[in-house]
Amino acid sequence: MRLPDAIERVLLDEETIAAQVRQLAAQIDADYGDPDDLVLVGVLKGAFIFLADLARHLTVPHHVDFIALSSYNRGTVSTGSVRLIMDTRVNVTGRQVLVVEDILDTGYTLDYLIRTFRARKPASLHTCVLISKPERRQVEVPVDYLGFEIPDVWVVGYGLDYADRFRTLPYIGVLKREVSVRRVAEEDGTAG
Amino acid sequence: MGLRDDVARVLISEKALQARVAELGQAINATYSDEDRPLLVCVLKGAFVFLADLARHLKMRHEMDFMEISSYGATTVSSGVVRILLDLEQNVEGRHVLIVEDIVDSGCTLDYITRNLRTRRPASLRVCTLLSKPSRREIDVPLDFVGFEVPDEFVVGYGLDFAEEYRNLPFIGILKERVYQGSE
Repeated sequence: MRLPDAIERVLLDEETIAAQVRQLAAQIDADYGDPDDLVLVGVLKGAFIFLADLARHLTVPHHVDFIALSSYNRGTVSTGSVRLIMDTRVNVTGRQVLVVEDILDTGYTLDYLIRTFRARKPASLHTCVLISKPERRQVEVPVDYLGFEIPDVWVVGYGLDYADRFRTLPYIGVLKREVSVRRVAEEDGTAG
Repeated sequence: MGLRDDVARVLISEKALQARVAELGQAINATYSDEDRPLLVCVLKGAFVFLADLARHLKMRHEMDFMEISSYGATTVSSGVVRILLDLEQNVEGRHVLIVEDIVDSGCTLDYITRNLRTRRPASLRVCTLLSKPSRREIDVPLDFVGFEVPDEFVVGYGLDFAEEYRNLPFIGILKERVYQGSE
């Protein structure tokens, strides 16, 4: 397989991801039994591929909803403030909510989502995250279903992007360090 | 009772869907180059499963964006006017836009979306839909990539829902009449 120039190596290949997504779906099926009020909330844009695959493996009845957020960034450094762009369609009060996220990094976004949903008094609230980078964590957030823990490298593919690129690679790859470093320099206004 | 028990029959199997989605991916690959950097516009919620599979076949540089719409109610059906709940993050002026839809039925909503996006002056605007029901068409909207033409049946699965259920079936099935009659 020929990799794009900006990709250093494949971290998680298609088969590895698919097997883990099936495993997560089996756990969720086992834990929820036969709910009549489960709603999966996918966080746009990154989670849509993970959600599409996860949902197809689930046998528990559920609805799918989406939420869109953006963070107030200073360069590539997240300030921790999150802006809600589009809320869920369904009112989650009294329902079982499972938040589906592609990546858990600083934890700011997921923490915001948990606090937002908790205030709406759902019947239950859980989180399902494909990728976690524990080294990057600024705020502790509970993860109920976790796909993979990875080191602090810039990963793309399977929903994850770098400046909106590489989002739809079928595998998760590591971006070459010189690519992500150049980007940080540009955003900080320190690039030559 | 599983969701599958509500399906009268499978119209398009998972295997047939996957093969056709790969073909659509190749057709799109042949249409755009890296320099075109097309913007794929996904109309939520129905198209997200199709898009997730389709986009993984694309070879050229591309970006994605999402729109979520809701209808204003029965009175606007024929005009296709919808409320945009989530607009595109990207400015599409001068961009090559490819709208990705799950199904084109009357064509009214798609016609409205294309007219709306055209006012933003994209460099090109094309439409890719997984399913088309030509017998239901009220407005003729040009479709550039079509997965399957289907008869006027109540289809669910692969993103398509009935009352928010069945979206996650990995195939396209025809819903049993008792299911949708029973709810009215």
